[in-house]
Amino acid sequence: MDEPALIQSAQRGDLDAFNTLVLHYQDALFNTALRILGDDDLAADAAQDAFLSAFQHLNSYRGGSFKAWLHRTVTNACYDELRRKKRRPTTPLEPDTDDGDEMDSPRWLADPHLTPEAQAEADELEHAIQHCLDALPVEFRTVVVLADLQGLDYTEVAAAIRAPLGTIKSRLARARLRLQECLQGFAELLPAAFRLQEEQQ
Amino acid sequence: MNPRDLELLSAYLDGQLNPSDSARLESRIASDSSLRTALDNLRATRNLLRQLPSRRAPRNFTLTPQMASIKPPTPRIVPVFRLATVLATFLFIITFVINGLISLSASSFAAAPAPFAAGAAAPISAAQEAAPAPTSAPAATQAPALPLAAIAPTETPMPFGGGLAPTITETSTPEITLKSVAPQVENTQPIHSQSESSVPVDFEIFFGALAIGFGITAWILPRNNERNLRKKWNKK
Repeated sequence: MDEPALIQSAQRGDLDAFNTLVLHYQDALFNTALRILGDDDLAADAAQDAFLSAFQHLNSYRGGSFKAWLHRTVTNACYDELRRKKRRPTTPLEPDTDDGDEMDSPRWLADPHLTPEAQAEADELEHAIQHCLDALPVEFRTVVVLADLQGLDYTEVAAAIRAPLGTIKSRLARARLRLQECLQGFAELLPAAFRLQEEQQ
Repeated sequence: MNPRDLELLSAYLDGQLNPSDSARLESRIASDSSLRTALDNLRATRNLLRQLPSRRAPRNFTLTPQMASIKPPTPRIVPVFRLATVLATFLFIITFVINGLISLSASSFAAAPAPFAAGAAAPISAAQEAAPAPTSAPAATQAPALPLAAIAPTETPMPFGGGLAPTITETSTPEITLKSVAPQVENTQPIHSQSESSVPVDFEIFFGALAIGFGITAWILPRNNERNLRKKWNKK
Protein backbone atom coordinates (compact mmCIF):
# COMPACT_ATOMS: atom_id res chain seq x y z
CA MET A 1 0.00 0.00 0.00
CA ASP A 2 1.45 3.33 -1.09
CA GLU A 3 0.19 5.28 1.88
CA PRO A 4 1.49 8.76 0.93
CA ALA A 5 -0.02 8.48 -2.57
CA LEU A 6 -3.35 7.32 -1.15
CA ILE A 7 -3.37 10.18 1.34
CA GLN A 8 -2.65 12.70 -1.42
CA SER A 9 -5.44 11.29 -3.59
CA ALA A 10 -7.81 11.29 -0.63
CA GLN A 11 -6.89 14.90 0.11
CA ARG A 12 -8.05 15.74 -3.41
CA GLY A 13 -11.40 14.10 -2.63
CA ASP A 14 -10.76 10.59 -3.91
CA LEU A 15 -13.11 8.55 -1.74
CA ASP A 16 -11.81 5.21 -3.01
CA ALA A 17 -8.28 6.10 -1.94
CA PHE A 18 -9.57 7.10 1.48
CA ASN A 19 -11.56 3.89 1.80
CA THR A 20 -8.40 1.89 1.10
CA LEU A 21 -6.84 3.64 4.07
CA VAL A 22 -9.96 2.97 6.12
CA LEU A 23 -9.75 -0.75 5.41
CA HIS A 24 -6.12 -0.77 6.43
CA TYR A 25 -6.63 1.05 9.74
CA GLN A 26 -10.16 0.17 10.76
CA ASP A 27 -9.20 -2.72 13.06
CA ALA A 28 -6.58 -0.61 14.85
CA LEU A 29 -8.96 2.30 15.34
CA PHE A 30 -11.80 0.06 16.44
CA ASN A 31 -9.56 -1.67 19.00
CA THR A 32 -8.33 1.64 20.36
CA ALA A 33 -11.90 2.85 20.72
CA LEU A 34 -12.95 -0.46 22.24
CA ARG A 35 -10.23 -0.37 24.91
CA ILE A 36 -10.90 3.26 25.77
CA LEU A 37 -14.68 2.95 25.82
CA GLY A 38 -15.05 -0.68 26.87
CA ASP A 39 -18.10 -1.16 24.70
CA ASP A 40 -18.30 -2.68 21.23
CA ASP A 41 -21.14 -0.60 19.85
CA LEU A 42 -19.85 2.65 21.21
CA ALA A 43 -16.41 1.75 19.87
CA ALA A 44 -17.85 1.05 16.41
CA ASP A 45 -19.68 4.39 16.45
CA ALA A 46 -16.55 6.19 17.60
CA ALA A 47 -14.46 4.54 14.88
CA GLN A 48 -17.02 5.47 12.22
CA ASP A 49 -17.16 9.05 13.50
CA ALA A 50 -13.37 9.15 13.54
CA PHE A 51 -13.10 8.12 9.89
CA LEU A 52 -15.76 10.64 8.87
CA SER A 53 -13.98 13.36 10.75
CA ALA A 54 -10.64 12.24 9.31
CA PHE A 55 -12.00 12.52 5.76
CA GLN A 56 -13.48 15.93 6.39
CA HIS A 57 -10.30 17.27 7.95
CA LEU A 58 -7.82 15.38 5.84
CA ASN A 59 -6.22 18.58 4.62
CA SER A 60 -5.16 19.39 8.15
CA TYR A 61 -2.83 16.38 8.00
CA ARG A 62 0.62 17.83 7.34
CA GLY A 63 2.79 14.76 7.24
CA GLY A 64 4.28 12.68 10.03
CA SER A 65 2.76 9.46 11.28
CA PHE A 66 -0.64 9.01 9.64
CA LYS A 67 -1.42 6.28 12.16
CA ALA A 68 -0.85 8.74 15.01
CA TRP A 69 -2.98 11.35 13.23
CA LEU A 70 -5.83 8.86 12.80
CA HIS A 71 -5.52 7.85 16.43
CA ARG A 72 -5.96 11.46 17.40
CA THR A 73 -9.30 11.53 15.59
CA VAL A 74 -10.44 8.31 17.24
CA THR A 75 -9.26 9.49 20.66
CA ASN A 76 -11.26 12.69 20.21
CA ALA A 77 -14.28 10.67 19.11
CA CYS A 78 -13.92 8.51 22.23
CA TYR A 79 -13.72 11.58 24.47
CA ASP A 80 -16.89 12.91 22.83
CA GLU A 81 -18.56 9.55 23.38
CA LEU A 82 -17.51 9.49 27.04
CA ARG A 83 -18.83 13.00 27.57
CA ARG A 84 -22.12 11.99 25.96
CA LYS A 85 -22.22 8.86 28.07
CA LYS A 86 -21.62 10.90 31.20
CA ARG A 87 -24.52 13.21 30.34
CA ARG A 88 -26.89 10.38 29.34
CA PRO A 89 -25.96 7.09 31.02
CA THR A 90 -27.19 4.09 29.03
CA THR A 91 -27.75 0.42 29.72
CA PRO A 92 -25.13 -2.04 28.46
CA LEU A 93 -25.46 -2.92 24.82
CA GLU A 94 -24.59 -6.62 25.13
CA PRO A 95 -26.78 -8.63 22.74
CA ASP A 96 -29.43 -10.81 24.27
CA THR A 97 -29.81 -14.57 23.85
CA ASP A 98 -33.08 -16.16 22.85
CA ASP A 99 -33.90 -16.48 26.56
CA GLY A 100 -33.39 -12.78 27.05
CA ASP A 101 -30.09 -13.20 28.93
CA GLU A 102 -27.08 -11.12 28.00
CA MET A 103 -24.37 -12.91 26.08
CA ASP A 104 -20.98 -12.64 27.76
CA SER A 105 -19.14 -13.35 24.55
CA PRO A 106 -20.91 -12.46 21.35
CA ARG A 107 -20.53 -15.22 18.78
CA TRP A 108 -19.24 -12.95 16.01
CA LEU A 109 -16.32 -11.86 18.19
CA ALA A 110 -15.10 -15.34 19.10
CA ASP A 111 -11.83 -16.63 17.68
CA PRO A 112 -12.69 -19.75 15.62
CA HIS A 113 -9.21 -21.25 16.14
CA LEU A 114 -9.56 -21.64 19.90
CA THR A 115 -11.21 -24.53 21.74
CA PRO A 116 -14.26 -23.56 23.77
CA GLU A 117 -12.27 -23.84 27.01
CA ALA A 118 -9.39 -21.79 25.72
CA GLN A 119 -11.82 -19.27 24.30
CA ALA A 120 -13.53 -19.01 27.67
CA GLU A 121 -10.19 -18.43 29.42
CA ALA A 122 -9.13 -15.86 26.85
CA ASP A 123 -12.45 -14.08 27.24
CA GLU A 124 -12.12 -14.01 31.00
CA LEU A 125 -8.60 -12.65 30.83
CA GLU A 126 -9.69 -10.06 28.33
CA HIS A 127 -12.56 -9.07 30.60
CA ALA A 128 -10.17 -8.78 33.51
CA ILE A 129 -7.79 -6.55 31.59
CA GLN A 130 -10.65 -4.46 30.25
CA HIS A 131 -12.03 -4.14 33.78
CA CYS A 132 -8.66 -2.82 34.97
CA LEU A 133 -8.39 -0.50 31.97
CA ASP A 134 -11.85 0.87 32.71
CA ALA A 135 -10.75 1.59 36.26
CA LEU A 136 -8.01 3.92 35.03
CA PRO A 137 -8.60 7.63 34.57
CA VAL A 138 -9.32 8.18 30.88
CA GLU A 139 -6.11 10.14 30.20
CA PHE A 140 -4.01 7.27 31.65
CA ARG A 141 -6.10 4.68 29.81
CA THR A 142 -5.64 6.43 26.48
CA VAL A 143 -1.86 6.55 26.85
CA VAL A 144 -1.52 2.91 27.84
CA VAL A 145 -3.86 1.79 25.05
CA LEU A 146 -1.95 3.75 22.42
CA ALA A 147 1.51 2.73 23.67
CA ASP A 148 1.08 -0.85 24.83
CA LEU A 149 -1.89 -2.11 22.84
CA GLN A 150 -1.40 -0.23 19.58
CA GLY A 151 2.38 -0.14 19.76
CA LEU A 152 2.74 3.58 19.06
CA ASP A 153 6.07 5.04 20.17
CA TYR A 154 6.23 7.92 22.63
CA THR A 155 6.39 10.63 19.97
CA GLU A 156 3.39 9.15 18.16
CA VAL A 157 1.43 8.99 21.40
CA ALA A 158 2.42 12.59 22.13
CA ALA A 159 1.20 13.60 18.66
CA ALA A 160 -2.01 11.61 19.05
CA ILE A 161 -3.06 13.19 22.32
CA ARG A 162 -1.20 16.49 21.89
CA ALA A 163 0.73 16.24 25.12
CA PRO A 164 4.44 16.68 25.91
CA LEU A 165 6.73 13.64 26.01
CA GLY A 166 7.29 14.04 29.75
CA THR A 167 3.55 13.76 30.34
CA ILE A 168 3.40 10.62 28.21
CA LYS A 169 6.24 8.99 30.17
CA SER A 170 4.70 9.87 33.49
CA ARG A 171 1.16 8.77 32.58
CA LEU A 172 2.36 5.52 31.05
CA ALA A 173 4.44 4.57 34.08
CA ARG A 174 1.59 5.30 36.48
CA ALA A 175 -0.97 3.55 34.27
CA ARG A 176 1.19 0.42 34.12
CA LEU A 177 1.62 0.40 37.89
CA ARG A 178 -2.11 0.79 38.49
CA LEU A 179 -2.90 -1.96 35.97
CA GLN A 180 -0.40 -4.23 37.63
CA GLU A 181 -2.01 -3.63 41.03
CA CYS A 182 -5.49 -4.16 39.62
CA LEU A 183 -4.54 -7.35 37.79
CA GLN A 184 -3.29 -8.90 41.01
CA GLY A 185 -6.95 -9.33 41.86
CA PHE A 186 -7.30 -11.69 38.89
CA ALA A 187 -4.22 -13.78 39.63
CA GLU A 188 -5.91 -17.09 38.80
CA LEU A 189 -6.62 -15.86 35.27
CA LEU A 190 -3.16 -14.56 34.54
CA PRO A 191 -0.46 -16.45 32.68
CA ALA A 192 2.04 -18.31 34.87
CA ALA A 193 4.86 -15.90 34.08
CA PHE A 194 2.85 -12.97 35.38
CA ARG A 195 1.85 -14.82 38.56
CA LEU A 196 5.47 -15.74 39.29
CA GLN A 197 6.50 -12.10 39.17
CA GLU A 198 3.72 -11.15 41.54
CA GLU A 199 4.69 -13.86 44.01
CA GLN A 200 8.29 -12.67 44.03
CA GLN A 201 7.15 -9.20 45.07
CA MET B 1 9.05 2.97 44.95
CA ASN B 2 9.13 6.66 44.28
CA PRO B 3 7.40 8.02 41.15
CA ARG B 4 10.71 9.12 39.65
CA ASP B 5 12.12 5.58 39.76
CA LEU B 6 8.87 4.19 38.38
CA GLU B 7 9.02 6.60 35.47
CA LEU B 8 12.68 5.75 34.83
CA LEU B 9 11.97 2.02 34.87
CA SER B 10 9.00 2.38 32.54
CA ALA B 11 10.98 4.51 30.08
CA TYR B 12 13.93 2.12 30.34
CA LEU B 13 11.62 -0.77 29.48
CA ASP B 14 10.62 1.05 26.27
CA GLY B 15 14.20 2.02 25.44
CA GLN B 16 13.40 5.71 25.92
CA LEU B 17 16.27 6.60 28.27
CA ASN B 18 19.43 8.22 26.98
CA PRO B 19 22.59 6.05 27.22
CA SER B 20 23.97 7.72 30.36
CA ASP B 21 20.67 7.50 32.30
CA SER B 22 20.25 3.97 31.07
CA ALA B 23 23.72 2.93 32.28
CA ARG B 24 23.14 4.59 35.67
CA LEU B 25 19.80 2.82 36.09
CA GLU B 26 21.27 -0.52 35.06
CA SER B 27 23.96 -0.26 37.76
CA ARG B 28 21.25 0.58 40.32
CA ILE B 29 19.09 -2.35 39.16
CA ALA B 30 22.08 -4.68 39.50
CA SER B 31 22.54 -3.70 43.13
CA ASP B 32 18.90 -3.17 44.16
CA SER B 33 16.61 -6.21 44.04
CA SER B 34 13.45 -4.15 44.60
CA LEU B 35 14.16 -2.15 41.47
CA ARG B 36 14.77 -5.38 39.56
CA THR B 37 11.45 -6.84 40.75
CA ALA B 38 9.63 -3.62 39.87
CA LEU B 39 11.11 -3.69 36.39
CA ASP B 40 10.11 -7.34 35.91
CA ASN B 41 6.57 -6.59 37.03
CA LEU B 42 6.28 -3.66 34.69
CA ARG B 43 7.58 -5.84 31.86
CA ALA B 44 5.08 -8.60 32.68
CA THR B 45 2.21 -6.09 32.74
CA ARG B 46 3.26 -4.61 29.43
CA ASN B 47 3.58 -8.07 27.87
CA LEU B 48 0.15 -9.02 29.12
CA LEU B 49 -1.35 -5.92 27.53
CA ARG B 50 0.47 -6.62 24.30
CA GLN B 51 -0.93 -10.14 24.24
CA LEU B 52 -4.46 -8.86 24.44
CA PRO B 53 -6.12 -10.18 21.29
CA SER B 54 -6.85 -7.64 18.63
CA ARG B 55 -10.50 -7.68 17.70
CA ARG B 56 -11.66 -7.38 14.15
CA ALA B 57 -13.88 -4.44 13.39
CA PRO B 58 -17.52 -5.61 13.50
CA ARG B 59 -18.16 -3.99 10.12
CA ASN B 60 -16.36 -2.00 7.48
CA PHE B 61 -16.11 1.68 8.25
CA THR B 62 -15.64 2.69 4.63
CA LEU B 63 -17.47 5.86 3.68
CA THR B 64 -20.18 5.98 1.06
CA PRO B 65 -21.07 9.09 -0.93
CA GLN B 66 -24.60 8.75 0.31
CA MET B 67 -23.56 9.29 3.90
CA ALA B 68 -25.55 12.35 4.79
CA SER B 69 -22.95 14.21 6.72
CA ILE B 70 -20.11 13.80 4.27
CA LYS B 71 -18.59 17.05 3.26
CA PRO B 72 -15.83 16.70 0.67
CA PRO B 73 -12.46 18.10 1.71
CA THR B 74 -11.82 21.73 0.91
CA PRO B 75 -9.29 22.27 -1.90
CA ARG B 76 -5.91 23.28 -0.52
CA ILE B 77 -5.82 26.55 -2.47
CA VAL B 78 -8.96 27.89 -0.77
CA PRO B 79 -7.23 29.06 2.43
CA VAL B 80 -4.77 30.99 0.23
CA PHE B 81 -7.64 32.79 -1.46
CA ARG B 82 -9.25 33.48 1.90
CA LEU B 83 -6.04 35.02 3.17
CA ALA B 84 -5.65 37.02 -0.05
CA THR B 85 -9.22 38.30 0.37
CA VAL B 86 -8.48 39.46 3.88
CA LEU B 87 -5.25 41.17 2.80
CA ALA B 88 -6.85 42.88 -0.21
CA THR B 89 -9.76 44.04 1.96
CA PHE B 90 -7.32 45.39 4.50
CA LEU B 91 -5.37 47.29 1.83
CA PHE B 92 -8.61 48.58 0.34
CA ILE B 93 -9.68 49.91 3.74
CA ILE B 94 -6.27 51.52 4.27
CA THR B 95 -6.35 53.28 0.88
CA PHE B 96 -9.96 54.26 1.46
CA VAL B 97 -9.13 55.84 4.81
CA ILE B 98 -6.05 57.58 3.40
CA ASN B 99 -8.12 58.97 0.51
CA GLY B 100 -10.72 60.22 2.93
CA LEU B 101 -8.13 61.96 5.07
CA ILE B 102 -6.40 63.55 2.09
CA SER B 103 -9.61 64.88 0.54
CA LEU B 104 -10.59 66.17 3.98
CA SER B 105 -7.32 68.07 4.35
CA ALA B 106 -7.55 69.32 0.76
CA SER B 107 -10.98 70.75 1.39
CA SER B 108 -9.72 72.53 4.49
CA PHE B 109 -6.88 74.03 2.37
CA ALA B 110 -9.34 75.16 -0.20
CA ALA B 111 -11.38 76.87 2.48
CA ALA B 112 -8.47 79.08 3.65
CA PRO B 113 -5.83 79.60 0.91
CA ALA B 114 -5.63 83.41 1.05
CA PRO B 115 -2.58 84.13 3.30
CA PHE B 116 -0.36 81.63 1.57
CA ALA B 117 -1.39 82.67 -1.92
CA ALA B 118 -0.90 86.35 -1.14
CA GLY B 119 2.51 85.70 0.38
CA ALA B 120 3.56 83.69 -2.59
CA ALA B 121 2.29 86.19 -5.08
CA ALA B 122 4.03 89.17 -3.52
CA PRO B 123 7.64 88.17 -4.21
CA ILE B 124 6.76 87.26 -7.77
CA SER B 125 5.41 90.66 -8.54
CA ALA B 126 8.32 92.29 -6.76
CA ALA B 127 10.79 90.20 -8.69
CA GLN B 128 9.01 90.74 -11.96
CA GLU B 129 9.10 94.43 -11.38
CA ALA B 130 12.76 94.36 -10.46
CA ALA B 131 13.92 92.00 -13.20
CA PRO B 132 13.34 94.12 -16.26
CA ALA B 133 14.92 97.13 -14.63
CA PRO B 134 18.60 96.47 -15.60
CA THR B 135 17.80 96.04 -19.28
CA SER B 136 15.44 98.91 -19.72
CA ALA B 137 16.97 101.56 -17.51
CA PRO B 138 20.51 101.16 -16.15
CA ALA B 139 20.10 104.23 -14.04
CA ALA B 140 17.28 102.70 -12.15
CA THR B 141 19.46 99.74 -11.23
CA GLN B 142 21.81 101.96 -9.37
CA ALA B 143 19.27 102.82 -6.84
CA PRO B 144 18.93 99.33 -5.34
CA ALA B 145 22.69 98.85 -5.76
CA LEU B 146 23.45 101.55 -3.31
CA PRO B 147 23.61 99.43 -0.20
CA LEU B 148 26.04 97.06 -1.92
CA ALA B 149 28.11 99.86 -3.38
CA ALA B 150 28.36 101.34 0.04
CA ILE B 151 30.13 98.20 1.25
CA ALA B 152 32.03 97.14 -1.87
CA PRO B 153 33.98 100.35 -2.71
CA THR B 154 35.64 100.38 0.65
CA GLU B 155 37.36 97.05 -0.07
CA THR B 156 37.91 97.04 -3.85
CA PRO B 157 38.44 100.10 -5.95
CA MET B 158 36.53 100.17 -9.18
CA PRO B 159 38.81 100.98 -12.11
CA PHE B 160 36.16 100.64 -14.82
CA GLY B 161 33.66 102.97 -13.32
CA GLY B 162 31.58 102.50 -10.29
CA GLY B 163 28.36 101.67 -12.15
CA LEU B 164 29.22 98.33 -13.78
CA ALA B 165 30.03 96.00 -10.97
CA PRO B 166 27.19 97.06 -8.75
CA THR B 167 24.85 96.68 -11.68
CA ILE B 168 25.83 93.02 -12.23
CA THR B 169 25.65 92.33 -8.57
CA GLU B 170 22.39 94.00 -8.30
CA THR B 171 20.75 92.36 -11.30
CA SER B 172 21.67 88.98 -9.84
CA THR B 173 19.87 89.76 -6.65
CA PRO B 174 16.38 89.76 -8.15
CA GLU B 175 17.25 86.51 -9.94
CA ILE B 176 18.09 84.89 -6.60
CA THR B 177 14.87 86.21 -5.27
CA LEU B 178 13.05 84.65 -8.17
CA LYS B 179 14.73 81.30 -7.66
CA SER B 180 14.03 81.31 -3.99
CA VAL B 181 10.44 82.17 -4.64
CA ALA B 182 9.96 79.76 -7.49
CA PRO B 183 9.94 76.58 -5.37
CA GLN B 184 7.37 78.13 -3.13
CA VAL B 185 5.23 78.90 -6.11
CA GLU B 186 5.72 75.33 -7.39
CA ASN B 187 4.87 73.99 -3.97
CA THR B 188 1.55 75.70 -4.08
CA GLN B 189 0.54 73.78 -7.18
CA PRO B 190 0.54 70.21 -5.77
CA ILE B 191 -1.76 71.21 -2.95
CA HIS B 192 -4.57 71.27 -5.43
CA SER B 193 -3.26 68.51 -7.67
CA GLN B 194 -2.52 66.16 -4.70
CA SER B 195 -6.16 66.12 -3.76
CA GLU B 196 -7.01 65.28 -7.35
CA SER B 197 -4.24 63.22 -8.94
CA SER B 198 -1.78 61.91 -6.29
CA VAL B 199 -4.54 60.29 -4.24
CA PRO B 200 -4.25 56.59 -5.13
CA VAL B 201 -7.77 56.13 -6.36
CA ASP B 202 -6.49 53.55 -8.81
CA PHE B 203 -5.03 51.58 -5.93
CA GLU B 204 -8.27 51.82 -4.06
CA ILE B 205 -10.20 50.45 -7.02
CA PHE B 206 -7.53 47.81 -7.60
CA PHE B 207 -7.58 46.54 -4.00
CA GLY B 208 -11.36 46.64 -3.89
CA ALA B 209 -11.56 44.60 -7.09
CA LEU B 210 -8.95 42.16 -5.77
CA ALA B 211 -10.85 41.68 -2.52
CA ILE B 212 -14.08 40.99 -4.38
CA GLY B 213 -12.33 38.69 -6.87
CA PHE B 214 -10.53 36.65 -4.24
CA GLY B 215 -13.64 36.50 -2.07
CA ILE B 216 -15.77 35.18 -4.90
CA THR B 217 -13.10 32.63 -5.84
CA ALA B 218 -12.78 31.43 -2.24
CA TRP B 219 -16.55 31.07 -2.10
CA ILE B 220 -17.01 29.36 -5.46
CA LEU B 221 -14.04 26.94 -5.39
CA PRO B 222 -15.22 24.65 -2.55
CA ARG B 223 -18.75 24.55 -3.90
CA ASN B 224 -17.55 23.78 -7.39
CA ASN B 225 -15.24 21.10 -6.02
CA GLU B 226 -18.07 19.60 -3.96
CA ARG B 227 -20.41 19.57 -6.97
CA ASN B 228 -17.80 17.87 -9.17
CA LEU B 229 -16.99 15.27 -6.53
CA ARG B 230 -20.64 14.49 -5.91
CA LYS B 231 -21.17 14.06 -9.66
CA LYS B 232 -18.20 11.71 -9.74
CA TRP B 233 -19.47 9.74 -6.74
CA ASN B 234 -22.98 9.49 -8.11
CA LYS B 235 -21.69 8.07 -11.39
CA LYS B 236 -20.24 5.10 -9.51
